[in-house]
Amino acid sequence: MTDHRWLEFAAPYALGALSGDEQATFEAHLATCSTCRAELQALRDVTGLLAHAAPDAIPPGGLRDRVLREARTLRPLGTRRAAAVSWLAAAACLILALGLGYGYLRERAARDQASRALATARDALAARDSLVATLLAPDVGSAALAGAGRPPSARLFWSPSRHRIVIAVYHLPPAAAGRTYQLWAIAQGKPVSLGIFNTAPDGRLTAAMVVPPDLKFEVTAVTDEPAGGSAQPTQQPFLIGKVTRAD
Amino acid sequence: MQKTGSRVNFEAVLANQQGQSRAPDGALVARMSAGDDRALGELYDRHESMAYALAVAIVAERADAEEVVADAFGQAWRTAPQFDPGRGSVAAWLATITRTRALDLLRARGRRARALERAAQAGTDGLAAPLAEMAVAPDRGAEQQEATRFVRRCLAELPEPQRRVIELAYFAGLTHTEIAAELQEPLGTVKTRMRAGMEKLRGLLAPLLAGGGA
Repeated sequence: MTDHRWLEFAAPYALGALSGDEQATFEAHLATCSTCRAELQALRDVTGLLAHAAPDAIPPGGLRDRVLREARTLRPLGTRRAAAVSWLAAAACLILALGLGYGYLRERAARDQASRALATARDALAARDSLVATLLAPDVGSAALAGAGRPPSARLFWSPSRHRIVIAVYHLPPAAAGRTYQLWAIAQGKPVSLGIFNTAPDGRLTAAMVVPPDLKFEVTAVTDEPAGGSAQPTQQPFLIGKVTRAD
Repeated sequence: MQKTGSRVNFEAVLANQQGQSRAPDGALVARMSAGDDRALGELYDRHESMAYALAVAIVAERADAEEVVADAFGQAWRTAPQFDPGRGSVAAWLATITRTRALDLLRARGRRARALERAAQAGTDGLAAPLAEMAVAPDRGAEQQEATRFVRRCLAELPEPQRRVIELAYFAGLTHTEIAAELQEPLGTVKTRMRAGMEKLRGLLAPLLAGGGA
């Protein structure tokens, strides 16, 4: 398997040294390739040990108290539902996304999250072929979806020629009983449903969805809806992002 | 390399890496998931040296390093229920969180330029512990000390150009393109060194890696 051209991405990926584009491309590949996932896992174990190479530094005595004090103000995850984001926050986020444009996709804060999520992606991917073909299509555009806080987040890849999108979601707890998540394309201000989805217990999902042939959209958003989905959003979106076209 | 390995107490180190020692790291994380903050205290006691040293290596300023460590353990506390032992050791998980927080802080403060400067000044000694510093600070636990000594020795066995690109990526958070610019080397050369260095390290570190009988 040494001629597998993707393997050369594994070492820089494990070290967080790929550019945003390369990273996204490799992540898409990882979702479908067990050889690269195994290689990456081995290299991530190596990376995990590199911390030992840092020169010694003695932590100050008061740090332990600070760590415990600050932690007590935080609740462990899983004890709360993701709070709905207000329209104001969503709008602010959209403006941010519009303002930063493509650079937003390169937001490296998402890197480790994404790598962790995708390196070990075990999701049974429904449509592997269409997923890979979509991701590798020459006209693929992309969007980084985010909410007001840090997690959850999502990345969307869209190939207009193939009428398909691939969405990868991270750190999103599965929808509550009787609820589902719904992905929307906002075309000229009007939401059009792209499909419903739910995340695995580990908060992740990678899935391909079909886009109506003539639909052109610039903004994409995710809402929490009643099971089965809704014709139009009934909730404020908690993830929203602007699509950047490849051309 | 076998000679290098023979003096290391692999069983103790491996047990620690895999969370199989008397009071496994994994059990602490499970207690943290249940909201037991004494378990967080214990985890802190075990890994504070590693986390703090890593934070200082990346952000340089001690006050910033303290913030990074506090944030990192806060995140570990908050996300303990999501820890998956199948993906690696608790120590590696903490190291990843700490490094990510440290690089975030560096970027947030617009300090990447300074990190680069430091990287440049570090010259051939690199950013990691100089080889002369093989002696490990005594505040690290015995198993941690073994692991630390072993990792430093393995890193020291890499050809210097390979070690340098790995350190620039890991401790300075540079992409391979940025490393190529920094070293004024072709990108292809940097990629080749990075891959060769990581593969060699993988072989050298095999005794410490879970399931690694190399």
